[in-house]
Amino acid sequence: MAATKPAHPDAMAPRTAGPTRTAAPMQPASWKTSPRMKAYARFGMTGWVYLIASISAIVIVWALGSGPEAYEQMQGVLAKPLVILFHVIALISVGFVLIRFFGLFPKAQPARIGPAKPPPEPVLKVMLYAAWAGITVALSVILAGGIF
Amino acid sequence: MVEVFRHDVIIVGGGGAGLRAAIAVAEADPSLSCAVVSKVYPMRSHTVSAEGGTAAVARDDDSLEMHGFDTVKGSDFLGDQDVIQYFVEQAPKELSQLERWGCPFSRNEDGTVATRAFGGMTTKRTWYAADKIGFHMLHTLFQTSMQFDSVVRYDEHFVTKLLVDGDQVRGVVALDIRTGNIKLILARAVIVTTGGGGKIFPFTTNGMIKTGDGMALAYRAGVPLKDMEFVQYHPTGLPGTGILITEATRGEGGHLKNSQDERFLVDYDYGVGNKAELGPRDMISRAIVQEIRAGRGIAGTYGQYVHLDLTHLGKEKLESRLPFVLELSRTYVGVDPVTERIPIRPVVHYMMGGIDTDITAGTQMPGLYAAGETACGSINGANRLGSNSLTECLVFGARAGEEAVQFIKGTDEGNAAAIQAQGEEEAARIDSLRGRQKGGEKISQIRRELNTTMEDGCGVYRMQDSMAATVREVASLRGRVSDLKLEDTSKVFNTELIAALELVNMVDVAEAVANSAVQRKESRGAHTCEDFPTRDDENFLYHTLCYFDPAGPRIEKKDVTLGTWVPEERKY
Amino acid sequence: MATKKTFVITRFDPDKDEVPKTQSYEIECQDDWKVLDAINFIKDEVDSSISHRWSCRMAVCGSCGMMVDGEPKLTCKTALSSYGDTVEIEPLANFPIVKDLVVELEGFMDKFQRVKPWIISAKDEAAKKAATTMKEGTNRQSSEELLEFKQFSMCINCMLCYSACPVVSNEPDFLGPAAIALGHRYNMDNRDDGAAERNEIFRDEGTVFSCSYANECSEVCPKGVDPAAAVNQAKFNAVIDWATGFVVERGGAK
Repeated sequence: MAATKPAHPDAMAPRTAGPTRTAAPMQPASWKTSPRMKAYARFGMTGWVYLIASISAIVIVWALGSGPEAYEQMQGVLAKPLVILFHVIALISVGFVLIRFFGLFPKAQPARIGPAKPPPEPVLKVMLYAAWAGITVALSVILAGGIF
Repeated sequence: MVEVFRHDVIIVGGGGAGLRAAIAVAEADPSLSCAVVSKVYPMRSHTVSAEGGTAAVARDDDSLEMHGFDTVKGSDFLGDQDVIQYFVEQAPKELSQLERWGCPFSRNEDGTVATRAFGGMTTKRTWYAADKIGFHMLHTLFQTSMQFDSVVRYDEHFVTKLLVDGDQVRGVVALDIRTGNIKLILARAVIVTTGGGGKIFPFTTNGMIKTGDGMALAYRAGVPLKDMEFVQYHPTGLPGTGILITEATRGEGGHLKNSQDERFLVDYDYGVGNKAELGPRDMISRAIVQEIRAGRGIAGTYGQYVHLDLTHLGKEKLESRLPFVLELSRTYVGVDPVTERIPIRPVVHYMMGGIDTDITAGTQMPGLYAAGETACGSINGANRLGSNSLTECLVFGARAGEEAVQFIKGTDEGNAAAIQAQGEEEAARIDSLRGRQKGGEKISQIRRELNTTMEDGCGVYRMQDSMAATVREVASLRGRVSDLKLEDTSKVFNTELIAALELVNMVDVAEAVANSAVQRKESRGAHTCEDFPTRDDENFLYHTLCYFDPAGPRIEKKDVTLGTWVPEERKY
Repeated sequence: MATKKTFVITRFDPDKDEVPKTQSYEIECQDDWKVLDAINFIKDEVDSSISHRWSCRMAVCGSCGMMVDGEPKLTCKTALSSYGDTVEIEPLANFPIVKDLVVELEGFMDKFQRVKPWIISAKDEAAKKAATTMKEGTNRQSSEELLEFKQFSMCINCMLCYSACPVVSNEPDFLGPAAIALGHRYNMDNRDDGAAERNEIFRDEGTVFSCSYANECSEVCPKGVDPAAAVNQAKFNAVIDWATGFVVERGGAK
């Protein structure tokens, strides 16, 4: 058989067992080489980035509340090249996920909810990217100390 | 040992008519157990491929009388007018019911169901869903039937024999395709809704499963098949595959053109008058064959064909009303109907004939009913109008279900021991057929020879001597088909065994078609005999009944029920 | 014109084989053949013991789904000319295998029925049932209302989407693209009043929220149903239905 992995042994299994023995369900062979599936795997992998970012956010907030020395030390850690590299990777991951998500978002809008209809696709996309840009700018200003 | 299952009503075949009958039984009496036994999962039934629409009076400029007359005239006056009367009355109710069950019909501006023109209909009465009505109807019926717990399905079970005791039907013998085991399914009424048998011909719109199984079941049980000589050739099928290109293409304004790019239905006299492309199917199929004979056909890999021109309809109309036609044409002949002409030729599509039934969908055997293409009421007579058959499935599927529910109230279950013995005998016969390597005949070879002889003798134009030759050939194939060589010894999902059983059914159906055709020495509707080119009401205004007999089929005559409309010359 | 091609086909007989194996067949193929034509030729003329499902050969019955070179395809619609000298044919991925190219469909039938795929009507049926004409016996629906769900009603139940879905492969309880799309189709039909019931089913475990929007189902769908859109619209509706349920009667979100 084409080199393919087994799927979950109960994939698509009926509630009551069938009257004859069946062979185990297999995953598609094309999943190993398909560019789309590789993109999907990368999309899933970005979860690691968010996990690490969440932990760092907790550390930063804790440092903020632990006095000026802890704060200075944290600033030093943040300036390290490896940490900066991580943040660049995080930015790319978020960009990748958001672009993918924004592409798929319009068709996920029901044609109508009560009396309301969604805006047309190009308008929706512009709104999404505008919101992203706006929030990015606002947060950057706040974090740079521009407001608080 | 065979396993025995008991229900109240059995429905053989899970297409439009069968599912409608199941819903009728479930609604009439939810306490009854209704088994639907089908050799495929119901959503695979061939109803799914119907495209154009389904007919019923809808508009204010229409009437039941007009629908009735169009149908009677379309049938070349062989239709039973009392059955047709009932049919046109029930049609709007049945289609309205289908709409309420969720069928996504196309709509007019005011939100009512839209109708389109169709062949042989004097006004627009064909309710449509883009060009996939069969698909939507079948899925709507199947999904609706799922809400009834009293409907029990035996999916992928092939019925090989009707169990009969005391001249009454008592159940069926079914081969469970999955396990290879035989089951006896017993009930006090059986409704046969297995469709037609177009696969006995080489070029057909029909799918692989249309092998006339139900017709053969009834035939072998002694119930006659009626009007089998009337086989409808749909004018517009794709060459080679035979894939259906719906009549709706003509209903929406498409033109048929020959090699000189002439609209031959207008330029020459083929009896369709100013209906032109909207004439009845038998006349148009004959016209196309005549054009090809006159040398005005176009040559292709699969023989001569003519053109269906939709280019003047415009992209928008094609995409909204005929999207499936666009897909089929592009995928299967590489032609884009928006800019090019589609190659088409007449292909076998429907059998007007079938199990002899009356207005109640009942047969000559108590407890046995039939509906849909399998049955012959007859509402279609010698030629069916397009879009009447889907409505027929609903009207008579419902009637059969209701009648069956009434019938079983007053009947018993017959002699259990005798029925069991019949079942065991049939089970042994099937087991001995599986993997029968000592045989001498190959399934595909016999199938090919059957197809060839049916095309030669029972084509659009028929001749006495070629029909007689086909009768002889089919008789000889009947002998040869009892010596099939089967290689597959497996028990689980043995599709070779199924193909063998289907082939035997096909030979039975072919025998009825050929023998009925050769004795009808006139031309009427779809049966065109070149030796007798005119209609002969004096001698041949009757239904042909073909009874199975080991020594050769026996033909009898049955009166046509006339009524308001007296047979006249059929001109359009 | 004919070309020689080799077909490597999965074989499995539960009574004889421990696990599936493959068998190769070399045949002459016509240029205009679809993959199904080749399989039928092999069955008719070379090895009659191969089991496969097919019927309409015009891409509407949904029987003939198989893996061709590792991708789920409707074999009656897939041109053989797009493949090389060797073609691998396997039964649909993610399904238990019954025999050769035939897979177990009862799992799908279970999921299918769970979404209540029929019109649930709160309106008074009696008057319409007694009517004898189209105008009195039918519901009104505009072309715009029809378009809100029509695409999702085009599913032929071929199950290629189940073979393509990574969640189906890993989570046995997931209802899957076609079943959810069908439930959503009824929710969006203005003649149906069952949205509340179906949205409750959709908030259950193993239903819409297991979908990770891989979009593979829509990529392989041969009928343009776009089940990914249906499933993700259903997520939206299920949430809104839950949220608004605190102030208005459930089922209002359509």
